[in-house]
Amino acid sequence: MKRGLAFIIAVFMLIGLLAGCSGENKAEADKTKDGKIVVDFWTFWGSETRRPIIEKIIDDYNSSQDKVFVKHTFLPWGDIWTKNLASVAAGNPADVIVNDINTVAQRAENKQVEDLSQYIDDSFKQKFHPHLWDTVEYDGKSYAVPFNTDTRLLFYNKTAFKEAGLDPEKPPATWAELEEYAKKLDVKNGDNYERVGFYPLWGSVGASSWMTNADSGKGFIEDGELTINTPKKVEALNWILDWKERLGENTVQAFQAEFGSEQANPFIAEKVAMWVDVGTFYTQLRDYGQDVDFGVAPIPANEEGSGNWAEGGGFVVEIPKGAKHPEEAMDFIKYLTDVEAQKYWSVKNYDNVANIEAAEAALNELEGPDKMVYEATVKNLKQTKMFPVPVEYPDYHSRLNPHIDNALLGKTSPEEALEEAEEDIAKMKKE
Amino acid sequence: MKSSDTTLAHTKGGSKVMQEQKAAETVGRTKGLSKKAKENLAGYLFISPWIIGFLGLTLGPLLFSLAASFTDYNITSKMNFIGLENYKRMFTMDDLFRTSLFNTIYYVIFSVPLTTAGAILLAVLLNQKIKGMKFFRTIYYLPAVLSGVAVYFLWMQLLSPSTGLVNTMLAWIGIDGPAWLFDPEWTKPALLLMKMWSVGGGMLLYLAIMQGVSAQMYEAADIEGASPWQKFYHITLPMISPIIFFDVITSTIGAFQIFQEAYVMTENGSGGPGNSLLFYNLHMWNNAFEVFDMGYASAMAWLLFIIVMILTTVNMKLGKRWVHYEGGDSK
Repeated sequence: MKRGLAFIIAVFMLIGLLAGCSGENKAEADKTKDGKIVVDFWTFWGSETRRPIIEKIIDDYNSSQDKVFVKHTFLPWGDIWTKNLASVAAGNPADVIVNDINTVAQRAENKQVEDLSQYIDDSFKQKFHPHLWDTVEYDGKSYAVPFNTDTRLLFYNKTAFKEAGLDPEKPPATWAELEEYAKKLDVKNGDNYERVGFYPLWGSVGASSWMTNADSGKGFIEDGELTINTPKKVEALNWILDWKERLGENTVQAFQAEFGSEQANPFIAEKVAMWVDVGTFYTQLRDYGQDVDFGVAPIPANEEGSGNWAEGGGFVVEIPKGAKHPEEAMDFIKYLTDVEAQKYWSVKNYDNVANIEAAEAALNELEGPDKMVYEATVKNLKQTKMFPVPVEYPDYHSRLNPHIDNALLGKTSPEEALEEAEEDIAKMKKE
Repeated sequence: MKSSDTTLAHTKGGSKVMQEQKAAETVGRTKGLSKKAKENLAGYLFISPWIIGFLGLTLGPLLFSLAASFTDYNITSKMNFIGLENYKRMFTMDDLFRTSLFNTIYYVIFSVPLTTAGAILLAVLLNQKIKGMKFFRTIYYLPAVLSGVAVYFLWMQLLSPSTGLVNTMLAWIGIDGPAWLFDPEWTKPALLLMKMWSVGGGMLLYLAIMQGVSAQMYEAADIEGASPWQKFYHITLPMISPIIFFDVITSTIGAFQIFQEAYVMTENGSGGPGNSLLFYNLHMWNNAFEVFDMGYASAMAWLLFIIVMILTTVNMKLGKRWVHYEGGDSK
């Protein structure tokens, strides 16, 4: 009898379990109670500063709509991409998502995003900075709309310039000047540096930026051709090595170790006189370095006339493949990337936006040093180079960087490093 | 074009129908079954939640990834059969594959013996009868309780070249410490150092078995005039060898799977300076989720499985020679 009971219990458990499993995984309600279509918008903007700004933009949009309701879903940086990928594969993605600007082509190629071309005409395209719009086009179609971007400037300490007998209104314009000024700005106490004039790898800049700057803005892969091992790029690496040798490994490391916290930033602490960073670095200066008398300038050109090329990044908004309400989603994207929302975002976040008119409108609202720096960043966008990842070489970064590392660590010569890098990358070309 | 999730749903749906039919049939036929068969059936029904979970959530995806390793599967849009192309690419074209395999094997070769020996040594020390031993045991076990990302961040601070505690202490004794996580020569030793810090988990296992070793043996050895080393080598080691065996096998498998450390402790999860921390699983992860080449990543996963399988088999075979099981020679 007992066994029979156990048996029956087991059967019931099994049925219960199966019922539990098969219970339709109900897609989240795609309508609100009052019958509005829900557009699910995924971002990684969850910080204290950013969240209220994006949610205000969403609220404004929602109150102007009677058929659509945009729901903001925050996902942490990193998780958002894998979750997006899984949800696209499962056929149940978000309606709108913020994603990396440099990898749009890859997502288009792998059919992770919807083609937006049907909603986009030339007059819409012209609203955006052309170098940003280029990144969202793939095979003649548009797969995303640029949202925000950044660029890099040279911040310099005017007080230090005066001390060193340099004209504080004349920042260095070429690499040669940069070097000359830097040497004058160094302050040494015996063998120790109390102040370093400049070091090319500090701040928000890497060897690849200098290599592109040297090569008149030419990236590592241009129109499908590998342009890694070029004389100018080799020269740039040698130039960086010269700095390292002059300052000494110990000085570089000792300074680098202090870069952790914002208060201890060496430019703000006036221990480094010139510093390359993104435009938003200004907000740190404003908040923690009230006493620093600084100026901004474009990154010096390799030689006169070769261009003040800086590296840029940013984010786009796009519709994941298979989203349920592409039309409503696109309407929201248009709002997000239009003047009003973009202006609000740029002023509140002190961020560069993709919409040209919005950037100008933001300028009118700013004043004082806020305006000075912002204006410089907007101007700088014309000489900002994006690094979109070509679909033929999806992981070229991870193959190139170790070779650059090795050259900078003195393990190989720059010539050899770039030659090997180009060979490695060529081998992995995807058809 | 099928995504893994829909495939999963199919498998689940399929087994559901089958199971229900089976259940219905069995209910009808129970009378005709022998007692033993009924018992077996009930047993299987009881473990069926696990079996269904295993089939649907483990074996299914496992086989799917095996199939995917022969395709150019990219998660969202492609899945064409390309034969052994992925495997060929691994061995002939992908330099990072070689780097990652080298880094991983390097790590396994050093971390397994070091952590095993470290744990045994610690267990021996903590197996003494001294006052306050409980306190020490707790202290040494503590790092094993702390885990994950927080610990990695802690170590990144400790290993900071000029302000970190490790180099500061080395400086006290006149050693100019290396740049640890910034110098490709020292990144892996830095990780090994970090692993050594948390041998407390293994130590606990050894301590437990050491306390079970009969005191009579040591007394007998004392009477014969054995030295402490002889006692350790001829009594302790053989008696704890089953745990050593278990520890070596599990930590070898664990070491091959090293991922988090490199993902968290290198800039953007890139694999560190000069790719010196690009471990096998990190390269695999990058291929799957950065480049969307899930087919290739699946192939890498299966190759790793084969490597680990072979090593474990070798370990098992060798184990018979040195592992001592108390209570007979049954092998």
